[in-house]
Amino acid sequence: MFRINFTINNKGYTVDVDEALRLVDLLRDKFQLTGTKEGCAEGECGACTVIMDGRTVQSCLVMAFQADGSNITTIEGLEREDGLHPIQRAFLDAGAVQCGFCTPGMVLSSKALLDKNSNPSREEIREGLSGNLCRCTGYNKIVDAVALASKYLKEEESDGASENSRK
Amino acid sequence: MKKRGKGIGATFYGTGYGNGFPDVSKAVVEIDKDGKVSIYSCATEVGQGAKTIMMQIAGEVLGLGVNDINFISEDTSLTQDSGTAAASRQTYNTGNAIKLAAESMKNKLLNLAKDYLKLNATLGLEMEDHKIYLKMEPEKCVYFNQLVEKENIKVSESFTAQSTQMDEETGQGSPYWPYTFNCYGVEVEVDTETGIVEVIKGVCAQDVGRAINPELVEGQIDGGFAMGLGYAIMEDLNCVNGKIHNNKFSKYLIPTALDMIDLQKIIVEDPESTAPFGAKGIGEPVMTAVTPAILNAVYDAIGVRFYEIPITPDKVLKAINDSLREGE
Repeated sequence: MFRINFTINNKGYTVDVDEALRLVDLLRDKFQLTGTKEGCAEGECGACTVIMDGRTVQSCLVMAFQADGSNITTIEGLEREDGLHPIQRAFLDAGAVQCGFCTPGMVLSSKALLDKNSNPSREEIREGLSGNLCRCTGYNKIVDAVALASKYLKEEESDGASENSRK
Repeated sequence: MKKRGKGIGATFYGTGYGNGFPDVSKAVVEIDKDGKVSIYSCATEVGQGAKTIMMQIAGEVLGLGVNDINFISEDTSLTQDSGTAAASRQTYNTGNAIKLAAESMKNKLLNLAKDYLKLNATLGLEMEDHKIYLKMEPEKCVYFNQLVEKENIKVSESFTAQSTQMDEETGQGSPYWPYTFNCYGVEVEVDTETGIVEVIKGVCAQDVGRAINPELVEGQIDGGFAMGLGYAIMEDLNCVNGKIHNNKFSKYLIPTALDMIDLQKIIVEDPESTAPFGAKGIGEPVMTAVTPAILNAVYDAIGVRFYEIPITPDKVLKAINDSLREGE
């Protein structure tokens, strides 16, 4: 057993984990954060994507003890008090969700991309999503969604800026 | 060297189980004491948008928005059978059953409204937003909930598609009805040194009868194109003696966002008379034209015909080398 300290969705936890436990199992089974999906279990499909210290990782390939000291964001951590995160809203508005199994991973990969590059080209979006497989959508409406999310986030930023200047 | 080529694929595809097989969908529409409308039908939602368009179909008949309808499906203890979400059949078959049930409910409500408002006939009665009113005298109106007395009003309808078994000797018969048509064009770039085929442009003209929800139709075309693309150049089960060797994503490659391209989508509307508001099935048709279009484009690019898919880089390279040797 290992004792690890880490943060999930801005809340700190200390837990004892078995050395053979994967991060995806810790999230899903211990924390009931079942928005993180397990698809292929070999790091190919990206359904289990979470953000760890600003980088996307496939939680099926990360051991739970490796999360010690890290800061993890899962899909459950995106929603805000006043509603959905702009990226989640963009996915709905663009019709980017079909069966939905890849969606949590897609949304988190989009977030990691937009956090680094707020104005990506369609090609950059495709590259940013290329670690996440989707069998339903043919990706195009997901690419549309990320472009739309980029617009939403910029609008939010300029709204915030004008609100601050009014204050 | 990179060689470019263009190709088209044109296909038609039948909706439903076909070949005389019983193809039945059932639907129930219910209105409760609060006037709330519920639809019970086992149209399975797998992401294709069945629930959305079933609610749209019922809403169109009953003068309601999608959010005003309570749609109950995928629960065999509450709903009757509507067959599988397969054979591109839900929009046509279950859509028809729901339209029939909604129309039957409308008829029932109009007759109840006629009696409630002490009118001579149902003629000129309009239905909108849980309300029935006389068009020429709108103050003569009644709400759905005022028409529901002790028990909920419930109607049930069933739709059975028509198809006949094909004569195996002559190939004659009507094994499917209706058919969906399409024509897709692609441009490819073939790297003659690596054998890699890249699809660089795609135009999809897809007959849908009627697009009940164009955004969902587009989503289906995108998805079908990606599947057809994988089918043509990537996806290889490597099945030997009945054993699938490529049984994981590290071996069985499917298109990623980088393999897909933005498509020009042309939705062709030619309403089908037996379909709900003219809408035909598109689930499978959106895939069928992609692979032949790609193979034709590859032929245009390198002059080699392939009769087996997927045309993975090794096969393309071998075919190019074989054709060069033949040329010598």
